[in-house]
Amino acid sequence: MHKELIWLSLPALAAPALPAYAVQYLTLEQAQRALFPEATAFRETRILLTAEQRAAIEKASRVRVRVPELNAWRVEAGGKLAGWFLLDEVYGKHEFITYAVALDATGAVRGIEILDYRETHGGEVRNANWRAQFVGKRAGAPLELDNDIKNISGATLSCKHIADGVRRLLASYEAVLK
Amino acid sequence: MNLAAIRRARPLLGTLVDIAAHGPDAEAAVAAAFRAVEQVHALMSYHDPASDVSRLNREAAGRTVTVHPWTWQVLHAAREFSLASDGLFDITVAPALTRLGYLPRHADFPRASSRADWRSIELLPRHQVRFSCPLHIDLGGIAKGFAVDRAIEALQAGGVTSARVNAGGDLRRFGPERETVHVRHPHAPTLLLPVIELGEGAAATSAGYFALRHSGGLPCSPHIHPRTGKSLAVDISATVLARDCMTADALTKIVLADRHAAGAVLERFGARALVIDRDNHTGAWRLRDSTPLRESHA
Repeated sequence: MHKELIWLSLPALAAPALPAYAVQYLTLEQAQRALFPEATAFRETRILLTAEQRAAIEKASRVRVRVPELNAWRVEAGGKLAGWFLLDEVYGKHEFITYAVALDATGAVRGIEILDYRETHGGEVRNANWRAQFVGKRAGAPLELDNDIKNISGATLSCKHIADGVRRLLASYEAVLK
Repeated sequence: MNLAAIRRARPLLGTLVDIAAHGPDAEAAVAAAFRAVEQVHALMSYHDPASDVSRLNREAAGRTVTVHPWTWQVLHAAREFSLASDGLFDITVAPALTRLGYLPRHADFPRASSRADWRSIELLPRHQVRFSCPLHIDLGGIAKGFAVDRAIEALQAGGVTSARVNAGGDLRRFGPERETVHVRHPHAPTLLLPVIELGEGAAATSAGYFALRHSGGLPCSPHIHPRTGKSLAVDISATVLARDCMTADALTKIVLADRHAAGAVLERFGARALVIDRDNHTGAWRLRDSTPLRESHA
């Protein structure tokens, strides 16, 4: 027996746009602890990439280096190198994602955690000022976010951007940290 | 006892997997849930040459291949969905997805036979599998839902009070409260539409909006009609509500392929579909619900 699909009105289709969707999963410190629970020290080393390093990274990863800077923490456990904690951002047309990649002492990926995910229906993501408002807040108090929207059935926007970002970071490790 | 509410996300299964849990030892339970998802990813990835799926695509046309019990379980379920839908769900459409650029080419897979379909997959005892002719399977239409179910199992075993797992639109939750599920507008995917309140159970959505490509000048989606080998419409979103997420995930593909034939399949699996599409005559967006009139008024 075939059931006929019936019609229901969907008031939401006529409703005004919902506010931008954003989640903060982890602060910087929480991400460091989650990825390196055994660590005794995180030593920040902010590295400015030279033009040659940038070119080498782009060639090896086939991903454009938008920001010629590497936010890395040398992770130590009991005085020995445990690995590297790399903080990075990727953005697409509608989304802005902050994530961290943990590399072990040999440079192999030991984990990836998303810190922030935000998306908007406007054009704000392309605007550097819009993105800048989140940057300083990462290390400190959690952002005040609209937590009403928890369940989105329908894909997240940019797993591809994260995959590209991880490839770029691995190439950066080879070019700069190894 | 450490009572906590935590939420984590990691890139897995080609999407962001978001897990939230509340209750004692939530941290450890979420870690176990991610391990389960990682295992499904490792077993069922089309891209990874070492996955069960790649081993089958490479070797199963010539000899029997033993797979992990989870892979066998998914292949068995896929067969049930193919049988129930008379082939509207079919995991052997991978060659069409490769042609459209959605899946990578594997040079070491034998060329797939044009007469291969879901019936060419033989499921043998002791988790052994054999293909009766060369073919390529892709579990992209079902493995995410299966991974969500395994993650939920891990969270339940971990003793949390409530939890939610969302793998890029395939979601399932349990716990005392109810939560609103939002679906993306097919034409403006950053617009989130509240469509249903979910207590215990799963909701999965399939739509073409993030996977749009062009083939021969026409827009196409990664949803292939198994009988024509053609890509399905892009301006539509199908959400299926079911008890488990694998069923919800698989049934979305059947609803996208043929909404009329899907009615009987939905009923058979105790599921319900919500479709958002555009009215051809007026151009207006509309929501359709598979619940029969009498039930929706009950």
